Amino acid sequence: MLRATVTLLLSALAATAAAQAPCPVRVGGVLPLTGSMAPITKKIAQAAELAFEHVNQGGGVKGCPVQFILRDDQGQPTVGVDAAKYLVEIERVQAFTGTISSGVTGPIISAITAPSKVVQVTCCSTASPFTLDGRSQGYFFRTIPTSKTQAYATASETMRRGFKKTAVIYVNTDFGTDMLRFYRAAMARLGGDIAVEVPYNDNQPSYRAEVTRALAAKPESLLLVGFPKDAVTIVREWLSLGGTSNVALNNSMRTLDFVNGVGARFVENFFGMDNAQVAGPHVDAFNKSFEEKFKTDSKGPGVHTQYDAVMVIALAMNIAKELNGTAIRDAVRQVHAANGTPVGTGPGEFKKALELIRAGKPVKYHGATGPIEFDRNGDVTGPALVWKISNGQLVTDRTISIEEMQGLARRIEN
Amino acid sequence: MLTGIFSYAVFFSCVVLILSILTLGLNLQWGFTGLFNAGIAGFYAIGAYTHAILTAAPQPQFLGNFGLPWIVGIAAATAATALAAWLIGLLTIRLRGDYLAITSFGIAVTIQLVTLNWEALTGGSQGLSRIPKPLAGTFDSPLAFNLWYLALLAAVVGLLYWGLERIVRSPWGRVLRAIREDETAALALGKSARRFRLEAFVLGAALMGLAGALYVSFIGFVSPFDFLPILTFQVWAMLIVGGSGNNRGALLGALVVWGIWAAAGALVAKLVPPSHAAQGAAVQVILIGLALVLVLLYRPRGLIGERAVVSRHADG
Repeated sequence: MLRATVTLLLSALAATAAAQAPCPVRVGGVLPLTGSMAPITKKIAQAAELAFEHVNQGGGVKGCPVQFILRDDQGQPTVGVDAAKYLVEIERVQAFTGTISSGVTGPIISAITAPSKVVQVTCCSTASPFTLDGRSQGYFFRTIPTSKTQAYATASETMRRGFKKTAVIYVNTDFGTDMLRFYRAAMARLGGDIAVEVPYNDNQPSYRAEVTRALAAKPESLLLVGFPKDAVTIVREWLSLGGTSNVALNNSMRTLDFVNGVGARFVENFFGMDNAQVAGPHVDAFNKSFEEKFKTDSKGPGVHTQYDAVMVIALAMNIAKELNGTAIRDAVRQVHAANGTPVGTGPGEFKKALELIRAGKPVKYHGATGPIEFDRNGDVTGPALVWKISNGQLVTDRTISIEEMQGLARRIEN
Repeated sequence: MLTGIFSYAVFFSCVVLILSILTLGLNLQWGFTGLFNAGIAGFYAIGAYTHAILTAAPQPQFLGNFGLPWIVGIAAATAATALAAWLIGLLTIRLRGDYLAITSFGIAVTIQLVTLNWEALTGGSQGLSRIPKPLAGTFDSPLAFNLWYLALLAAVVGLLYWGLERIVRSPWGRVLRAIREDETAALALGKSARRFRLEAFVLGAALMGLAGALYVSFIGFVSPFDFLPILTFQVWAMLIVGGSGNNRGALLGALVVWGIWAAAGALVAKLVPPSHAAQGAAVQVILIGLALVLVLLYRPRGLIGERAVVSRHADG
């Protein structure tokens, strides 16, 4: 009797669980809302909120509204892992976005995302091993370009300009060491020579020691990887000690603060890299709606990439036949189909995308950061551009198309 | 839904048990001996990295990553932490109270910076990945693995609890408490306070190293961000809330404090819409603080304080 009751009870429970309405569809988020990252996270969380608003206005996921459940990781790995586990097990999310610090994203990938087979899309964690070492089993994506594109493009441009012997001064963080690693691999393949590699720690009053070490190797050119404030100090010391004016820079230096900090007339031979497609109608549309909603500009790290991370999840969930992690993972690959109809940012464009998907037609998403196409590792690939400084202004020297970039990657990696 | 709650509970329990090993270690040092160790994260890091470096799959860019068996990593991590604690203890153990706290805190920060910068060995800020989880291949779902790991952790913690209970009741344990209460009196009785303090320090730190090793082989990834000073604070909060000087209090404290930490986050996410998530998260931190303060107000000696031990002959 008792056993029969228990069985009945269990089957009733199972039935309610199965019959539970699939609406609303839940999507998780893990972001450091408190802690040292909190100041930059505010806008990132707003970008996510805006994206979900656009998704819901445009028709949600498979006819359901989408509910966003956002958890705070406090910038602490154990807290972040716990939050992700909670989202996956108790809220039953099949996809979530997050997080910022690579130290929190890493354990989430290996403890939650890969074993539970749920999709994770980050706006901000750039540590290269996450997508390269295979531990994510393809469930991890990021909408922020890693340093690879930039490093390859820089190496290629350095060789194109005929500088065979280069010194590298780089900031000693995961960003700097990543750049150096990819640059080193590229130079080795393209026939260049790195004369010396000098790391630096940020916020020092002077970098004479580092600069002197780099100069001692007598390089034909310098690659400086870092951030504008310290880079100004380094470049001034470099030039005053007789260093060459053939200087290559990373994307962070593409700002007039840097140009004016050094002095425009000293930097005419400098050139730098950036990801192309940081402008265009879809980007403008996003900026505009962000400014309207939050009454503040959309500038800041991670804001655009976070919007795209959410949009990629929402589009993939609509494309996927079923709402499970594996199907969504495979559908992420179809968010930017080569033969698809272009769709952009905002509720109207999302609605258009849904109509196309319902009609069984491919879509090609152009997001707040340009075309979002993932390579086989789950990183965004994209065209790069070479910029230079002319009469104190930042101008585009040339763009390296996506085909050229892919060719370059093949040459370097195979 | 039910399996979800169960699955989360198993995962949560694993984390609690790992944290409770840290709390037990600290209880031996502070609760029984009165050693103000503010460098818990440092010893945890030594254990975690020793295990990761020994067991992770080989990769050409790393010096370590020897791919050794899990059990070797666990044993070596515990031994390496004990050795490090012995060396640190030789230099610092004569410091009293606050001075030991400042010194051990500094050492922990130094260790964290070494893990951040010694890239060839630790992977630097990118961390070390592909740390094997024991027998992970034999389980086909994360729940099954977590259940097995929970059983393993429960056995380890049970063994440690049993052992610690025995030794703190042994003559050795009585000397520790004597030193804690009145070092001069203990010295007058001919006990070498320095030696006993050092032994308790090394043993407690070894447990912290073991906890670190068990943590990385549970998560499969380690980076310097796992060892920020906040961890030291959390473990201290656990011990104070649970009841310093009582091993059961240490276990309970780990459960209660980590429970509050996790529940506050879940509660806030349930009640606060994402548009106010930033404010909600701040409330979460306030909730955690409030809960800790309330416990201390109403249970100043912790939830289960130290039992007043009087000689068993005293009643008679």
